[in-house]
Amino acid sequence: MTTTKTIALLGQPNSGKSTLFNNLTGLHQHVGNWPGKTVERAEGFFDYNDVQYKVVDLPGSYGLSANSEEEVVTRNFIWDGKADLICILVDASQLERSLYMLADFVGIKAPVMLVLNMMDVAEAAGKKIDVKAIEKKLGVPVLGFSAADTKRYPDFLKKLDEAISHPSYIDSAGLREEMIGGNDSPVYVIEKILDDTQLGNVENIWLAVKLLENDKLVQKVVNDSLPFARRNAVKCILSSAEGREGGIATGEAKYRWISKILKETCSEKTPDKVFGKWDRIATHRIKGKIFSFVIMVVALLACMILAFPGMGIGFGLQPVLQSLVEKVGEALGLWTVVVSFINNVLVGGTCITICMTSFIFSIIFVFRILEEIGYMARFSYAFDNWLSRLGLHGKAIMPLFSGIGCTAGAVCGTRVLDTRGQRLFALVLLWAIPCGSKVAVVLFLASTFFGSAAPFFAIGYVALIFLSFWLSSLLFGKKLIPENERVGMIMELPPYHKPHWKMIAAMVGRSTWGIFKKALKMILIVAAIFWALSYASDGNVENTILYKIGNAIEPVTMFFGMRWELFVSYLGGMFSKEASLGIMSTLFNHTGEAFSLVTRVAASENLGEVLAKTISKPEALAFLFASMFNVPCVLAMGTTYREVGTIKWLATIMGYYIALSLGLAFIGYHIGLLIF
Amino acid sequence: MQQENFPNIISLNEMRENTGGNIERIEGDSRFISRIVSIGLTPGSTFSLLKNDGRSPLLVFCRDTVIAVNRKESSQILAKVNA
Repeated sequence: MTTTKTIALLGQPNSGKSTLFNNLTGLHQHVGNWPGKTVERAEGFFDYNDVQYKVVDLPGSYGLSANSEEEVVTRNFIWDGKADLICILVDASQLERSLYMLADFVGIKAPVMLVLNMMDVAEAAGKKIDVKAIEKKLGVPVLGFSAADTKRYPDFLKKLDEAISHPSYIDSAGLREEMIGGNDSPVYVIEKILDDTQLGNVENIWLAVKLLENDKLVQKVVNDSLPFARRNAVKCILSSAEGREGGIATGEAKYRWISKILKETCSEKTPDKVFGKWDRIATHRIKGKIFSFVIMVVALLACMILAFPGMGIGFGLQPVLQSLVEKVGEALGLWTVVVSFINNVLVGGTCITICMTSFIFSIIFVFRILEEIGYMARFSYAFDNWLSRLGLHGKAIMPLFSGIGCTAGAVCGTRVLDTRGQRLFALVLLWAIPCGSKVAVVLFLASTFFGSAAPFFAIGYVALIFLSFWLSSLLFGKKLIPENERVGMIMELPPYHKPHWKMIAAMVGRSTWGIFKKALKMILIVAAIFWALSYASDGNVENTILYKIGNAIEPVTMFFGMRWELFVSYLGGMFSKEASLGIMSTLFNHTGEAFSLVTRVAASENLGEVLAKTISKPEALAFLFASMFNVPCVLAMGTTYREVGTIKWLATIMGYYIALSLGLAFIGYHIGLLIF
Repeated sequence: MQQENFPNIISLNEMRENTGGNIERIEGDSRFISRIVSIGLTPGSTFSLLKNDGRSPLLVFCRDTVIAVNRKESSQILAKVNA
């Protein structure tokens, strides 16, 4: 029988935690949420020397103060002592700063192994780090490592084995000395008052430090367990002048402790190029924005090229498979209803899922590469001023911009934001940003109905998007990101790194595969329902259930200026933008045997002509507006659900956009009636 | 603050680009303090100001790291400017 050991990865953002996690666990990983939280929980497994290791990737944070949901999760996990080993990752090229996490950890009674990651970068920058000497000083296993280099993993596993079989703890004496200074220092006095109190698996010095740093969770735990007199004594110290400055003093002490360790174990030369020519441009107030814009356009083009093979397979496969199914069906004498189901649900649904997920893959991949290079932080910096007006962090620019490529993929990118409120608000805004397909549909409609006036609609559309941002900010922004919780940008601009293409492709491939499987299920179900509603054995639209429902609700939908055909197309647009055109093509042009969500030969050649003849201008206006702010697509709903974690929030965002698009349709229609 | 007695102690956002100094004190609530300390800025740290264009967040180089700090909160960081 094998034993299972749990190791937790702890580290600051950009410390290479996720690289290590992915390379260790490969396909054997599971991503979910922490119980009762909206923080992502990544877990994986691997075997080494007859031991099964369970790896928990703790959310990245700069320290162990419980300020955000992520930090609370991390802290509780460590506090409960659930891990056999905590593996702390630090960036060797910024050792002094990133060791802060280790310093913040001192006093927690859990076995530790320290990994100095990116040793190659540090060495290239001329730093000499004596790993053995650091190990001796700390008293825990320390490894010089480079998580991106797969050849170095045997070293990691050997060290891990050693750390697991001889658990060792960081000696807190050195840090304690720095913290305490004299016998009247607040840390010392609080530690004395806590005396024999035993809370969690931490030493009292750690509690004292966190109390002084005004850590609300620790304050609560201590308050609940101390008798009245001692509780008051602690309160007294915390409210004294020195106590109130405690957070700074403890921070200084931690860095002093780090400096002492590094002084005798590292030599470094002052870096000569910390802020090069490119950085000057990338962070320039105006040039930086132009520069970013060019990079993003190139990135989007790269996305399209990358998505091309997948799109080709999806598009190309569909007609081939469908005619094959028809032939086989004929040969076997299958009922037409079976053939129709296979083609319109199974084949069509699978092909459309391939097309859509290939876009998701490329967008996540390209933006992940930009992040890995270190460019994303510059991009965020350049746009922070604009986004902070909406209450968002500069980091939101990445998902918002990639929304132009593909909403469903961009939704996954909102994960970079730090708080749930920020993520939700960014998602709300993102849904208003039209992806390539939506732009194509809107432009097609505008030029069909309004000919040479189409460019004005394009400009009007952009204006409406910004107006919708303002509305969303009123309705959601103030609530999701309350004024007093709005924090300005405090962010590291990491040094540029060479991206590890293969590793990122593998990582993104794995997560896209997960999305594909879920998307396929969802798309097949929706396509099946729609097929059942729209199937008529004789191919006559009037014999479909949808026709009957459509006619019954037409009096209501006409209120928004949409006759039932248009309303069904609008609903189809929630599935995909192409479906919206495909359905119109069937309903108005009577092409295709049954209307289907998965029709890829979207607009038949003379669709424009027929539409222009059949539909009045006010109706066209209504449908155009409805299409602009319609729900993006079925996959965007799926990935949004994955990010928000609750049906309630998905329904809220959907409801908002349905209301917005129908509201605009109503206004457009009635204004249209007056004008035309 | 007795800033008039220490003429070369000014807040970060008043410093000129491409100058350096030492952080003298940091003001603000514990949330801000914890964020700024954990990213590497503490009283006493030596730093150089890479960028201050009057509008964008400031760029500070400290402990081998380039750190962006928004303008509002950077006014809560007081520094002694190198002569």
